[in-house]
Amino acid sequence: MEITSSCNLRCDYCSHFSGPGDVEKDLPLGAWLRFFSELQRCAVMNVTLSGGEPLYRPDIREIIQSIVANRLRFSILSNGTLIDRDMAAFLASTGRCNLVQVSIDGAIDITHDAFRGKGNFMKAIQGIKTLQQFNVPTTVRVTIHRKNVHELEAIAGLLLEEIKLPSFSTNSASHMGLCRKNAAQTQLTVAERSLAAETLMLLADKYGGRINATAGPLADGRSWLEMQEASRNGRQRMEGRGFLTGCNGPRQTLAVRADGVIIPCLQLGHMALGRINHDDLLDVWQNHPDLRKLRQRSTIALPSFIFCQGCAYTDYCTGNCPAMAYALAGEVNHPSPDACLRLFLEQGGRLPERSAHHRTE
Amino acid sequence: MNENTEKNIVANPLIVLREEFDNWAILFDPDTGNTFGLNPIGVLIWKHLDGHHTLDEITEKIREAAEDVSSDVTGHIQDFVRNAVKLGLVSHEAPQG
Repeated sequence: MEITSSCNLRCDYCSHFSGPGDVEKDLPLGAWLRFFSELQRCAVMNVTLSGGEPLYRPDIREIIQSIVANRLRFSILSNGTLIDRDMAAFLASTGRCNLVQVSIDGAIDITHDAFRGKGNFMKAIQGIKTLQQFNVPTTVRVTIHRKNVHELEAIAGLLLEEIKLPSFSTNSASHMGLCRKNAAQTQLTVAERSLAAETLMLLADKYGGRINATAGPLADGRSWLEMQEASRNGRQRMEGRGFLTGCNGPRQTLAVRADGVIIPCLQLGHMALGRINHDDLLDVWQNHPDLRKLRQRSTIALPSFIFCQGCAYTDYCTGNCPAMAYALAGEVNHPSPDACLRLFLEQGGRLPERSAHHRTE
Repeated sequence: MNENTEKNIVANPLIVLREEFDNWAILFDPDTGNTFGLNPIGVLIWKHLDGHHTLDEITEKIREAAEDVSSDVTGHIQDFVRNAVKLGLVSHEAPQG
């Protein structure tokens, strides 16, 4: 739930700002409280608070207290700069915080602050340490971009050895929101993607499962290596591949924009399914035709696309993220060009060497 | 009075019952994040742990609702309740009066 569209920062690659979720006015507190009652009636178990910056909302404590009163657990996606001892103590006192994910983009302030603004690295690191002092489960998301792609080893060392986080995850600056406008400065080139994949796979091996990814160079690298190996070995079609099976989100989650519009996912902000406190959530979840269509993506065969014609990898490919497909190809029911192995290799991309310890996660 | 005739067994009001399409359900403890699966009979028992039904009455409900009910159904229900108490899902309230 994007409980606010506002943020105290304006990071140059933010997927929220200038995207469909970037709405003018936040919902009032009462609207969220009503919605949480419906979430309880629907027996929802977990919610994730994001934005904008969720902790920037002055009534965030009331929001969280209502979540707790409605028998839910919560996670928070934060830039970390607004986490002080009071906030950390409050989050700990709820007993319901699954985790707080803080964004860190560098091992030093110059790198992190390059796209996030001066002074914010130190604030975010302090925010993490404060959360740790109060035993609030904490993790980090590192968004890989042009200015930190050569610093990944140092970032891993900072997060896992110095700050001693149990793990962190990675992604890359996407093709959405402000990132689209600032693509030349932020988005990785093919060579940089290759470097990032190789470096992250080595680091993931070194740190034994403590570096994770569901998208971005580490996820792509692992997936592509598996596909390339399967193709070289002449393997038959892999289970669950060869169709648009890349996203199970429509069967597991819904999202809500800061203006109360229900959407399948925060990256599909244009796809309005209804409005909270106006449309019955259960009815939207079970019956909305657009959600049903998204769930049926997995029946669409990759060879049916002109984009996939003649590709040696279709039997091992999932078509990846529908939101990225929409951002780049204009169509949700399309393979994501950004996740295309054939295209990556044609553009000069190279895959990492497969190590003996390589794992696919 | 034995445990089968007492009405003081109550489901923890904090626990969330999430019923699924196939008549199974999940019990969710928001304080721990733990989840537990319930088969349809477990769901029926859970819904009657409201402080108004004895285990004997719940046994009768099961016999009405299900086929081929085990002769030891009472023992199974007692086991279910004991496990639920251990997991903090159910408690024995103090008798009234």
